[in-house]
Amino acid sequence: MALLRLPDGAPRTPAIVISLLVVALAVVVAVAAPWLGLPDPDAMEAIPYQPPNARHWFGTDNFGRDVLSRIVWGTRLALIVAVVSSLASSILGIVLGSISGYFGGWVDGVMSRTFDVFLLIPTFFLVLLIVALFGQGLQYTMIAIALTTWPRSARIMRSQVLSLKSRVYVQSSRAAGASHPWVLTRHVVPNGLAPIVTDGTILMGFAILTEAGLSFLGLGDQNAVSWGRMIFEGQRQLRIAPWLSIFPGLALLLLVAALNLLGDGLNQAMNPQLRRQSIRARGKPPVDLGPPKAEDAGAPILDVRGLKMEYRLPKGAIRAVDGVDFTLPRGGSLGVVGESGCGKSSLGAALLQVMAPNAVYTAGDVSVAGRPILKDGQVVRAGSRDAVMDIRWTRVSIIFQSAMNALNPVLTVRQQLMEAYRLHRPAEDEAAAVARIEALFDLIGIPHRRMTAYPHELSGGMRQRVMIALSLLHEPDLVIADEPTTALDVLIQDQILGEIDALRRRLGLGLILISHDMGAVAETCDRVAVMYAGEIVEIAPTSVIFGDPRHPYTRALMGALPTVTGPKRPLETLAGEPFTPTGDIVGCRFAPRCAMATDRCRAEAPAPVAVAADHLARCHYARDDARIPA
Amino acid sequence: MRLRRYVLLRILQLVPVTLVVIVLNFLLIHLAPGDISIILAGETPDPAYLQHVREMYGLDRPFLEQLWRYLVQVGSGDLGMSFRSRQPVFDEIIDRIPATLLLVGTAMGLSVVVGTWIGARIARRPGSAVDSLVSAGAVMLFSVPVFWFGLMLILLFSVQVPILPAMGMSSLDGPREGIGRVLDVAHHLVLPVLSLMTVSVGQYIRIARTSVAEVMGESYITTVRAIGFPDRRIVQHYALRNALLPVVTVLGLQLGLILTGAVLTETVFSWPGLGRLIYEAILARDTPVIMGAFIAMSVTVAIASLATDLVYAALDPRVTL
Repeated sequence: MALLRLPDGAPRTPAIVISLLVVALAVVVAVAAPWLGLPDPDAMEAIPYQPPNARHWFGTDNFGRDVLSRIVWGTRLALIVAVVSSLASSILGIVLGSISGYFGGWVDGVMSRTFDVFLLIPTFFLVLLIVALFGQGLQYTMIAIALTTWPRSARIMRSQVLSLKSRVYVQSSRAAGASHPWVLTRHVVPNGLAPIVTDGTILMGFAILTEAGLSFLGLGDQNAVSWGRMIFEGQRQLRIAPWLSIFPGLALLLLVAALNLLGDGLNQAMNPQLRRQSIRARGKPPVDLGPPKAEDAGAPILDVRGLKMEYRLPKGAIRAVDGVDFTLPRGGSLGVVGESGCGKSSLGAALLQVMAPNAVYTAGDVSVAGRPILKDGQVVRAGSRDAVMDIRWTRVSIIFQSAMNALNPVLTVRQQLMEAYRLHRPAEDEAAAVARIEALFDLIGIPHRRMTAYPHELSGGMRQRVMIALSLLHEPDLVIADEPTTALDVLIQDQILGEIDALRRRLGLGLILISHDMGAVAETCDRVAVMYAGEIVEIAPTSVIFGDPRHPYTRALMGALPTVTGPKRPLETLAGEPFTPTGDIVGCRFAPRCAMATDRCRAEAPAPVAVAADHLARCHYARDDARIPA
Repeated sequence: MRLRRYVLLRILQLVPVTLVVIVLNFLLIHLAPGDISIILAGETPDPAYLQHVREMYGLDRPFLEQLWRYLVQVGSGDLGMSFRSRQPVFDEIIDRIPATLLLVGTAMGLSVVVGTWIGARIARRPGSAVDSLVSAGAVMLFSVPVFWFGLMLILLFSVQVPILPAMGMSSLDGPREGIGRVLDVAHHLVLPVLSLMTVSVGQYIRIARTSVAEVMGESYITTVRAIGFPDRRIVQHYALRNALLPVVTVLGLQLGLILTGAVLTETVFSWPGLGRLIYEAILARDTPVIMGAFIAMSVTVAIASLATDLVYAALDPRVTL
């Protein structure tokens, strides 16, 4: 096992370490069995039926044989069965799988079907048949195991070969005149080996259990000491000498579990995806502010102060939202723009407290209509109920980016809307829910008959309309639209945006439109916030942002915006990579990409500068009186 | 119409599996040492019966004709005669199915329910200490030799604390009908079911855990969280429903292992099912029964795999037929 190279960063988990130790111990014991100073496993010298004692740690059996010694010698048989049958199975699988994957076409078609057929044959029953026909013998057991398990590695190998085959280096070495078998062994086989070794570990455990089961039925090799056979012999003495059955079973369990845990651990180490799932960050504890106070009718619908949220990753934290302030009056609309990765979508999720499990708040206050839902980075609750539960969907709802993924694929549109409706209005009956959904469908322009469709049966535009209908279900005061049109084609984009805007005006909705599309925001929103590296770098009324942008980043975004009516000019592009807010940050986050950056910018982080009463920009040189020294 | 075509197509795919199994059986018989007629008839001293078997399988004919005759014979459901009972093997197997079905069905049903429930619970906190412990425990569970576990259960609950029966399906002096009979069988069912569950419950815990954790990361789960569904309801109602698909897949793939476990469990507990029949046939060297069992088990597993695909198609509206 030590030969197997673990991928970089693979966790040496306790499970892997312990199982490696157990397997290593089994190997050592099996090899060193003759020199351990144990009694002959077949010698019937001791007094029979001795319970475990100082001389015979695991007791003696009905013939006066030492149980410990027999278990030690049984390790040999277990390991031989494990190694030989899984090796035979893997080699058979590697050869056949490689051929199938490499040649493709009808060869692959026929062979893949064969894999499937052989996988369906139950190993144990084939072993029973072979033993019944050919007589008892370890070799038959191992042949039968190999014969019914090889398609496992063949399948792995086939897919490995298929994916590697298409890569350039195999192609190029073929072009250089290398022969088929050479290409196969030189490039493809070594690359596909790792998952087969992993599966082989699990196969070993399976082989040991199969042999033990066979021996337990009295069909094992008569000439070797086997754990299964020991249990078979011990069961007749179960009442008077239980140790005869207990210890060999424990040995079996220990070795097989070690092999399975090892295979499992290696599997997880080789699939980083399996690992990433397990990161779950713990934020500040929630704070109980008691029962919610009466709503303040004069308060803005949304008030955000110093909001900070970060993603915890193995390599450190990324501060995706890093001190955001803004206020949204009732019926107001705010566009949040910026490049992808600037934190604008994270901001949307953070407002409703629906972030990924590895995200936590570190600071900030959020209130909806005057009621706090986040205080000093602590989730506000009353009793056992989070305050945010009172505003989700009834006051604030979200339209997510891709409705394909944001709608449940196994429920119909009607079911999903219905459940969302009944959740907040449990007293109302189905008819009321249907009436509301139909009214919304009319509003958005979806034919009623599409209600019974599954999301995948709808077009992209229709799905997004369903998402909008869903967001309006409970007449919220505020809708957060997170890139509502990104996944759609341009024509539909305009249509959907127009519909959102019309609805907003008609229903007096508050709107936060998160988008990388400056044009969309310009048409729809009163105010615009420009985000960069987790911060709002500039916020102002839309006309001011477009007419008199003060932050160099905003100007760069404008420059990247094509214009139809204005004079023709080349589009500017922003050089450099977006800044990732992690670790200690010195100076202005935009400075590395800013054409106008000075030494002050690189040394001192700018605070928001009030350009006008309604206009903030996070730049030292935002004000007219602080223009860059020429 | 499309559904019917799909079902038909999948049923047709059973044919190659059955063919391979029968041909494999045939080849093994011919490769085995000894007189083929004795293998096919069992160790019977009756020369007339031996002669009958020779003619029936055409053992003096060319090899390929023998194969053809064998295929036709087995294909028509004739698996030969058990020389022990002089009953057709087919009938012997059919007779034993109810007991095995009761055992396997109960164990599988409980495994799915218990395993999925535990798996879904630990999936809510992936990476936590409880999760790691339960996950490792699940691996240990399917590493347990089922026959040994059965013996240990007997040791604990029939020998040390004698509260549960260790043998058979019913008490000799127990009630023969009505609710009393049901309770008596249920009482006998406890230990075999517990021991057979070790084969599969660990797998379901793991599958449910992985798939629920995966589903919990999907965007549509974020949507229902934003809508305001409480976490518990999201796991139970949404995540579990979507995560059931992989559980269904495993259900079909696991059947071979579970039937193996059933043979061993039935042997330990003297449960009068198919496994017991196979064990008795092995002891008596009744080869026709063992061959019949091999074919029957292989076809059962193939049918289960087919059923799995059909259920999958029915559960997931995205599968277009």
